[in-house]
Amino acid sequence: MSEPLRVLVIDDEEAMRESLAAWLRKEGYRVSVAADGADGLAQLSAGAFDLLLVDMKMPGMDGMTVLERTREVRPDIPVVMITAYGSIENAVTAMKKGARDYLLKPFDPEQMLLVIERIVGHQELVRENEALRERLRQSARDGVGDLVAGSEAMVDVLELIQDVAPTDAAVLITGETGTGKELVARAIHALSSCAYGPFVVINCGSQSETLLESALFGHERGAFTGAVSTQRGRLEMAHGGTLFLDEVGEIPSKMQTDLLRVLEDREFTRVGGVKPLQSDFRLICATHRDLPARVKSGAFRADFFYRINVLEVRLPPLRDREGDVELLAGYFVEQIARKLGKTIQGFTSEGLRLLCGYSWPGNVRELRNVLERAVVICRADQIGARELTFLASEEPDAMVPMTLREAENSHIRRALDAADWNITHAARALGIDRVTLSRKIKRHDLSRTK
Amino acid sequence: MSVDPDTSPLAEVVPLGRVPPVACAVVAANLQAVLGLPTQVVAARQMPPRAHLRARDQYDAAPILSALRSEVESIRVRVGVTALDLCLPILTFVYGEALVGGRVAVISSARLAAWPHGTAVGTAAGTAAGTAEEPGLLYERLAKVALHETAHALGLTHCQDHGCLMAFSVGLEKLDSIHLVFCPACEHKLVVGR
Ligand SMILES: [Zn+2]
Ligand SMILES: [Zn+2]
Repeated sequence: MSEPLRVLVIDDEEAMRESLAAWLRKEGYRVSVAADGADGLAQLSAGAFDLLLVDMKMPGMDGMTVLERTREVRPDIPVVMITAYGSIENAVTAMKKGARDYLLKPFDPEQMLLVIERIVGHQELVRENEALRERLRQSARDGVGDLVAGSEAMVDVLELIQDVAPTDAAVLITGETGTGKELVARAIHALSSCAYGPFVVINCGSQSETLLESALFGHERGAFTGAVSTQRGRLEMAHGGTLFLDEVGEIPSKMQTDLLRVLEDREFTRVGGVKPLQSDFRLICATHRDLPARVKSGAFRADFFYRINVLEVRLPPLRDREGDVELLAGYFVEQIARKLGKTIQGFTSEGLRLLCGYSWPGNVRELRNVLERAVVICRADQIGARELTFLASEEPDAMVPMTLREAENSHIRRALDAADWNITHAARALGIDRVTLSRKIKRHDLSRTK
Repeated sequence: MSVDPDTSPLAEVVPLGRVPPVACAVVAANLQAVLGLPTQVVAARQMPPRAHLRARDQYDAAPILSALRSEVESIRVRVGVTALDLCLPILTFVYGEALVGGRVAVISSARLAAWPHGTAVGTAAGTAAGTAEEPGLLYERLAKVALHETAHALGLTHCQDHGCLMAFSVGLEKLDSIHLVFCPACEHKLVVGR
């Protein structure tokens, strides 16, 4: 909050007007005053203001009229009405006509501050939201920010996000691991009508069925061993906002039925509880699985699938996003180098050739991990082949002298990087179990280089 | 403004009406120690009669400040101290008030002598904690309000640093949570303005 808030005080009584203005100036606000409604409206149309404080009772044009006119010409500026004790009805009418709040004079300094803070907080959210909207629009044009999009495939996705966000329909985000599904979910939330509400994430693939159930639905004290206190679930927490179910394809069949009921009735009970609880949220799900195929094979419930897949946003794999590797790589290197306090001027031509020639099975996340390591070990002012040796191993020439052990080492490392070192995910991708993978990591002495 | 303020770096503490001398001494000592301004307690003055708001039986800080402004050019800052209840026409009460950069401030002890949860100091609930502490707490609060308002009078506005004397404090609980020091940023502004 660097710029001071600009406040316009409209009150006919000099003592009230001036004491309020002086007090607000002391607070650090930039304050203008007007002695009547006409002057106030004239100042409003001539200058920029963030907040209007308007006395209800004034000779000539009264406060209610000032409020109405303001709503017509500048509906974006919040108006707080100041009214005398005993005229609450007026205050209520004013609220109905769009006043943001009212104060009964004389008022407590604390109360005044609360009202202003609430408005400032709200304004900042609006501004933040607008900034994000603008960033998305920019991203679609010239590719800045985490949702970098230069390729046609990704520009289409960004446009789709802007179309689906304002609807309240359930969205299913599909795409390979590492394509940025959570980022897209957050963008949809930020552009939606529940942007001011919470964004609640739960990864359905990383926990046991019992834990997942209690995390989603919450539990009452004593519902099971270890439930020492009552806990609210994610369903409750998401009320008024967005619930993001990541890896929705991993939800066990029985819980799909339970969730389906919640989605239909907007009602549920905590584990071990009897009281029905209501929660209203927007649902966004994500998966890297081929859900239609799983529905066909009976591994996923069809009714649940149709409920969560009202709109689909399909994220293209990085190898299909022509030109985006270079854009993203430049963006990440700048970001990582700044974080580490290093000066790195992009890539040598050989480095760039390696980056663009690689197939990126772990997508954007793998790219980010590779660059993180490259920036750390980079001693020159550009990232070149030396920092990207591991990519070179995919080139045909370098493949030849590799022993089976070396190949396994490199393959496991690649799978781990692609899964952001999540052992469960990497094991799944490699088609082996966690224990076997852990043993192999130890044998190959692999560790996350960061 | 004919007098160069640098040649008379002085702060004045003015008792308004009947004020315990120890209250003025505490304020003066803190202004001198924390702001580094040679400070002196001058002769008491009467409350300006027009400051009294009969209907509310409170004192409007604005006319008090304008009365304190006369001949303030010869010193750095003048701080009025009263035991009477201060307010503004639009606000139910203030602990103190100042003209930002206007070199005058006024503070009141009227609302500082209560425990955070509304128990008056000195009542049975208050004394349980030990009597010696109570006047100490009142004077600590008074010193905080004095330094806060004086810094306003010297041109500072509120600060985002929650522990700083220039953090806004309404409510005694909040006032008690801030320290008796300015944060480095506010300290710097005060030094530059000196
Ligand atoms: Zn203040
Ligand atoms: Zn400060």
